[in-house]
Amino acid sequence: MAISKDILNVLESIVGPKYISADPVICESYRSGPGGYENGTGYERVMTTIPGCVIMPRTTEDVQKIVKVCYRNSVPYVPYATGFYGPRSHPHVEDALLIDMKRMQDFSIDDKHFFIDVQAGVIYSPIQQECLEHGAYVVIGGGGAQASAIANLLGDGWSPLSHRIGMPHRRILGCEVVLPDGELLKTGSLATGDDPFWGECPGPDLRGILRGYTGVRGCLGIVTRMAIKTLPFQPEPLVPKGITPNTALALPEKRVKWINFVVPNKEAQEKAMFEIARAEVGGAVTKVPLFWRAIAKAEDKEHFWEMWNKENEQTVHNFFIVRVLLIGFTSEEQMEYDERVLMDIMTALGGEARATKPSDESWIKNADSAGMWVMCGDYMSVDYVSESLSQAVKHGSTYAQLKKKYTPPLMPDYGDPGWFQSFECGHQGYSEFLVYWDHDDDTDKVDQFYLDSSKMNIEHGYYTALIGPHQPMYLTGPKYGPNYHIYMLKIKDEFDPKWMSHPPVPLAHDVFVERAPWMHNMKDWESPDDLPK
Amino acid sequence: MAKKLKVRYYRPKADVALDINDIQNFVYDMSRCIKCKGCMWVDHTYMPGATTGFLTKCPSATMYEYDAYNGAGKMRIAHAMAEGVLGWNEKALEVVYACTLCGACDTGCKRNLDIEVELTLEAMRVKAVKDGVGPMPAHKKVVENILKKNNCFGAPHKSRNEWLPKGVTPAKKADVVYYVGCNASYVNKEIAQSTVKIFKAAGTEFMLLPDEKCCGNIVFSVGMIDEATAIAKRNVAEMRKTGAKTLITACAEGYRMWKVDYPKLLNISTEELGFKVLHITEYADGMIKSGKLKMKKDFDSRVVYHDACSLSRQSEPWTPWKGKRGWMGCVEPRLKRRRGTNGVYAQPRDILKAIPGVNLIELPRTRENAFCCGAGRGAREAFPEFAEFSANHRLKEIKSVGAETLVTACPMCKSNFSKAVKENGDDVQVMDITEIICASIKG
Repeated sequence: MAISKDILNVLESIVGPKYISADPVICESYRSGPGGYENGTGYERVMTTIPGCVIMPRTTEDVQKIVKVCYRNSVPYVPYATGFYGPRSHPHVEDALLIDMKRMQDFSIDDKHFFIDVQAGVIYSPIQQECLEHGAYVVIGGGGAQASAIANLLGDGWSPLSHRIGMPHRRILGCEVVLPDGELLKTGSLATGDDPFWGECPGPDLRGILRGYTGVRGCLGIVTRMAIKTLPFQPEPLVPKGITPNTALALPEKRVKWINFVVPNKEAQEKAMFEIARAEVGGAVTKVPLFWRAIAKAEDKEHFWEMWNKENEQTVHNFFIVRVLLIGFTSEEQMEYDERVLMDIMTALGGEARATKPSDESWIKNADSAGMWVMCGDYMSVDYVSESLSQAVKHGSTYAQLKKKYTPPLMPDYGDPGWFQSFECGHQGYSEFLVYWDHDDDTDKVDQFYLDSSKMNIEHGYYTALIGPHQPMYLTGPKYGPNYHIYMLKIKDEFDPKWMSHPPVPLAHDVFVERAPWMHNMKDWESPDDLPK
Repeated sequence: MAKKLKVRYYRPKADVALDINDIQNFVYDMSRCIKCKGCMWVDHTYMPGATTGFLTKCPSATMYEYDAYNGAGKMRIAHAMAEGVLGWNEKALEVVYACTLCGACDTGCKRNLDIEVELTLEAMRVKAVKDGVGPMPAHKKVVENILKKNNCFGAPHKSRNEWLPKGVTPAKKADVVYYVGCNASYVNKEIAQSTVKIFKAAGTEFMLLPDEKCCGNIVFSVGMIDEATAIAKRNVAEMRKTGAKTLITACAEGYRMWKVDYPKLLNISTEELGFKVLHITEYADGMIKSGKLKMKKDFDSRVVYHDACSLSRQSEPWTPWKGKRGWMGCVEPRLKRRRGTNGVYAQPRDILKAIPGVNLIELPRTRENAFCCGAGRGAREAFPEFAEFSANHRLKEIKSVGAETLVTACPMCKSNFSKAVKENGDDVQVMDITEIICASIKG
């Protein structure tokens, strides 16, 4: 049912007439697709709608008032930070209110105690710039420099730089969360005052409920403010250089340096990561998908395909790269020591350092997720996994095997096992598997691959990020819980008994399977008849 | 690839052209926007800190804030319209026309992708006119002036050359044609007067077009493509008739029209015009570097240079293209995309650096990331409050670096900034680059 004029008037009184619109043109601009992350899939076509109204709050209090109005009047709503995260961050039901957080731009930095305090509209790259100017840094997640820090940290937030500091959610010191009924919940040390330094609070800590492995896509309320731990960085400036499209940060080579190594085999690749991590050197240790190398060199998509089409199963299978970022956090001497240790490790493993540009194109300030679309137009990460280092490496190979069954329409990548790296100095390993396809192909198989990957994870016992609201919970819940879906739904019912906060998440993928006829023959699990329609 | 794989990746190739007459040419581009909003944010490598307030480069998105006003939103709206699921209304016209077509979105997008945002926005305006809803009423008045009186302002055509200073007589015939443009002819005459003084100081003989008329920037920019094409045909023919080898202008918008949009309208390449198009900054920079123009007198000031959009990120030459689009969106024949890489960025800066006493400071948002003044492409005429907002927003940035003098290379930028400075009582001196060059020559 369309949001009534009376309700719109009340909402307008909260933010003022400039910041609310039900105009169909404004609403159309908030459509999820047809392009972008996970768009072009059946999920996008079946599950997303354009909002019935868009509102732009400025403060946490505004958000509370808006949510209270919605809750009282049974208006479904969706929080929206930048909209980059594809269909899952867009309305799934008709006539929803989209709460666009981009006016929430408050930012402060405490360079003495190394934390920042941000509102939901603040994106990563200006945060990183402020941090660098104050002797600190944050990790810009794979979601990209254009991602809202809050949204990204609630979702994933990891990057190659997680080698040094591990799981991103451990840097969340405190949040303000507007619950679905409008009540304000404060987590971490914000629960006891306005000093987020400690990151802890008395009593049970609700961070896990809020976030879990990859978050709940706004279905348990809206995080409006977050205090995030920063880390000390080296003091030399990283200077922007170049002109579009070839811009990069010039690195002070005695303090920051990327080095690419080619190693003889997969064992050496894995061992290198392990040994580098064990020696506790490096700011990042990673192996990215091989086609990213072609993207980095390509002038345009045609050039990419010219290069990539020269590859084959053999060339991909026999190419092993390890990319290492060295940072002299404390001194040039520390950097020299780290580099000597690194070279010793790589020499022992037969690694060969390749000429590497003294600049950073991606990861330190500009995490360049947008460039990953250049050669196709459609892309998503099917999965991300934090495992032990040795298991993370295996995960990608399993995916590559499954992918063959769905290629085409998936782009040929000749068995490349995807992206893997060390986290938290090797205490964890990370694997991410990305797939690309042509928007105009029949995408049913993309949807099927996505679901099949979940079954594959269950079969192999991989504990993966996308088992929550990203996959059918009645498939994954009994296998991983055995009752995690039940308690997830109980929490949802407790926090949001009317299911107004981004419905039907967390059951959206269950609903999708029911709605999409091409998914029916894959359904070999039980789910209740009363799934949200 | 098809030969190597057992399963053939294949789709019939679709015809496509970089032709803004038909919005269907850009449906692929619209449908591949990924909402990274590179169209709106400053290049992340150059992104200033979160406390500066200068994080965006799109004036429209900065003022109106809804996604509808950034490139990503506009691409979605255009897509819905091209597919016939969304119609025109007042808001749609505001979205389409409260925009300076400054190209920030296009270069930002093309840092990562191969999407034609600027051409899509131009095609939307053409569609608006064809659909009978565009341009805006304020545009119609300007277009009427241009079509009837050959200038934007409705001033008498016969007074077009009244800017000529005493003692300066253009040659009847020369290798160089100075195209003055409406703004410098009627409003900012000091720019035209400074330009000819530069020619004189460098020893360059120049002529004017025998009957110079408006370049048609507004006509083209608001989507009246048939009328704009007629103007392009006429002006190019007049220029060719002179036999001159080079056309020089001090107007950034005029420069873009001659170099990029006339070829676009006439379906020829910039090279095929048969004459070279230069902006005064390119010419003066060359003259200074060759020693023919000497910067003598000190200009002691903390100076910032504001990149005019049409001179910088939008000024790469035009090459017509049509072909086929196939699997993964790849096109053939090969298309060299205009990404804003080779705009006129260095020359004005080199000129300023050559002037003794100038302390040139870069703004946080510079070159391809510059924030447009808000005046161009019909925006000021139809949405004066938007033009005012943009100028003030940029002035805030200019003042944040302690600038005393703002130099630009576009009469429209100068007008818009001067107006804002006057209204605010700001202590920033606004100058065209020709004026500061002249100030240094005089010594």
